[in-house]
Amino acid sequence: MTDQMDHLDADDLAMLATSFESAMAAAPDPSTIDQALFELGWPELLEAAPTQGAATVFTALGATGTTSGALDDVLAHALGLDVSATTGVALPPTQRTTTPARRDDEQIVVDGLVSPRIDTATSIVLAVASDQAVELVRVDPSKVDVAPVGGIDPDGGHRRLRATIAAADTNAETPGGTWPGAVAAAQVALAHQLVASSRWMLDQAREHALERVQFGRAIASFQAIRHKLSETLVQIEGAASVAGACTDDSDPMLAALAKSLAGSAARTASKHAQQVLAGIGFTTEHDFQRWMKRTVVIEGLFGSASSLPTTIGEDLLARGTAPRLFEL
Amino acid sequence: MNADLPDAGSFRRELATWLNANADTLTPPHDGYGTLDEELAHYKTVKRALWDADFGRYGWPESVGGLGGPSMLRAIVGEEIATRALADASLWTMIEVLAPTISTFGSGALVAEMVPPFLRGDELWCQGFSEPGTGSDLASLACRATPTDGGWLVNGQKVWTSFAQYSERCVLLTRTGDAESRHRGITALFIDMDSPGITTRPIETQHGRPEFAEVFYDDVFVPEERLLGAVDGGWKVAMDILPYERSTTFWHRGAVLHGRCAQLVEHVAESPDRSPTAAQALGQAFQSVVAFRSRSRDTQYRLAEGGTLGAETSVDKILIASAEQELLETARGLLGGTIEFDDGPVAEMWRVDYLYSKAATIYGGTGEIQRNIVANRLLELGREA
Repeated sequence: MTDQMDHLDADDLAMLATSFESAMAAAPDPSTIDQALFELGWPELLEAAPTQGAATVFTALGATGTTSGALDDVLAHALGLDVSATTGVALPPTQRTTTPARRDDEQIVVDGLVSPRIDTATSIVLAVASDQAVELVRVDPSKVDVAPVGGIDPDGGHRRLRATIAAADTNAETPGGTWPGAVAAAQVALAHQLVASSRWMLDQAREHALERVQFGRAIASFQAIRHKLSETLVQIEGAASVAGACTDDSDPMLAALAKSLAGSAARTASKHAQQVLAGIGFTTEHDFQRWMKRTVVIEGLFGSASSLPTTIGEDLLARGTAPRLFEL
Repeated sequence: MNADLPDAGSFRRELATWLNANADTLTPPHDGYGTLDEELAHYKTVKRALWDADFGRYGWPESVGGLGGPSMLRAIVGEEIATRALADASLWTMIEVLAPTISTFGSGALVAEMVPPFLRGDELWCQGFSEPGTGSDLASLACRATPTDGGWLVNGQKVWTSFAQYSERCVLLTRTGDAESRHRGITALFIDMDSPGITTRPIETQHGRPEFAEVFYDDVFVPEERLLGAVDGGWKVAMDILPYERSTTFWHRGAVLHGRCAQLVEHVAESPDRSPTAAQALGQAFQSVVAFRSRSRDTQYRLAEGGTLGAETSVDKILIASAEQELLETARGLLGGTIEFDDGPVAEMWRVDYLYSKAATIYGGTGEIQRNIVANRLLELGREA
């Protein structure tokens, strides 16, 4: 399989997508998924086709409502580090795209997040903002303070990471990529995940609307319901298109746009699906609430639909014009 | 398609070089919007120049004087023209909407005679579909065509006919079946607008540009060779227009919006006292424009690969309408009173666009109709109550 990764075509990717989804559905625990991903050739895929490969894996994560440490791998690859199931890469705080750490003299102050990779990682890579540039350091997980599993989505495994570490306790890494490049790669991957989970939420609402009878007819026959679901699909398709327009060498602004649009679509899907699913969707008997909570967490990673428009607008103003970003 | 056809990238580069070299001829003599007469005169100049330089002939079949190649080449011309604001966007749209369908449904002789002057910009055509009693429900149209010696006599009224008062020809939908025949009793005719019995009355609209008209047909004779498609087959003609309206035309419209977005960014970037929320508003509006352009590009690719376009283009329509309204509302906020209070060509341009954007969810199928189509055909939600 590894030998063939150089000649990936649409059929290969579709086959891989099916394998990824089956593995995720079979054992939805993050570390088992990580293991399955590595066995299925995820690091080689990432090497051969970074954007498309990540799109495949993160679409499968979104469609199955699962989480994994794959985002750490996307970041490691974009930063030019070796991709390994025992390497974690710290994430920015929620809603932000800034580095999760900054240098304060001889200390490194960490305020960020970690993915479920933290449970199996033997080292964590921190992107550290300093006066000069962004440096990368590797640290032993025992040196940082990882919050216990909890919050809105305990099973998802994303947690806060906070620490003040002596710089002497870390090992410098030589980056082969830039932090903005890593941010863009993560944003595209997450956009695909959000699009896929939005599609799942829409599907659930659609099925319910066709089955649920009130006033003697399926509630799908009422225009108020139909237009909510239509609006959801339109937003999903717009976001999916921009996520799909991102390539290995596209402008990083396009990645931010993809993430922001996907976040916005996920918010709409979650809002309208919740309303259409109504009572049953509010109970733990229905899976919707799991997806909704997970979406809340994922939507905040690497900038959200609330924070990214400002970032994008500032970028536009700095450029002084609106770039086309893609051509026919 | 022949082997000499340029690829999209080199076509765009050659076109850009030519447009820059001929900027003197191609740049409108007026700042902002001219009057419709000025816009029409300049549109014809631009069309003719593009045709004579061959750029306007790519993407059209040889049967109408074209040089062949995919319609994407036309989309590129439209985009570059829109980006440089060289021709009025609404006028530009008419060819893309009407010429492909007429080329399909007109007789060989009719097409060979009529389409080339339209493509060259010698003529303008209009589209007579809507009626006072026929808005969203197109199949209810009543303008009647009665068979007579050698053709038809048309009686009735159309409304919202864009540029009727400037047009040489009209693609007209008429009722030929009984009143209950709905879409099965409609016939499409190709009409000379100088035929006796036609009266046009421009409509004053909220954006101040009388580009729409009411058109009255009083015993208008139409020769039988002006039939488009089959008798009672007009619905098919009308439906054939849809994919063109939603592909090259939309891509062009997206380029217009993108151009406005760029102008707005330039304006705000140069403003000394920028609002603290300016960046967010710009980012939000730009995001909607990008979502539409990306979706529209996918549609172009699907068409280029031989796919047919149907209900999924309702998604494109909803995206462009919301992007346009969001962008112009954002512009109103960020231009600091220009739209509300100022005069002069630049203020007038923004004001016209702002007011026109309100129609984006009305024309070409309302936002509600589009959402119904998405619900019926894409989400398959079954029958509506």
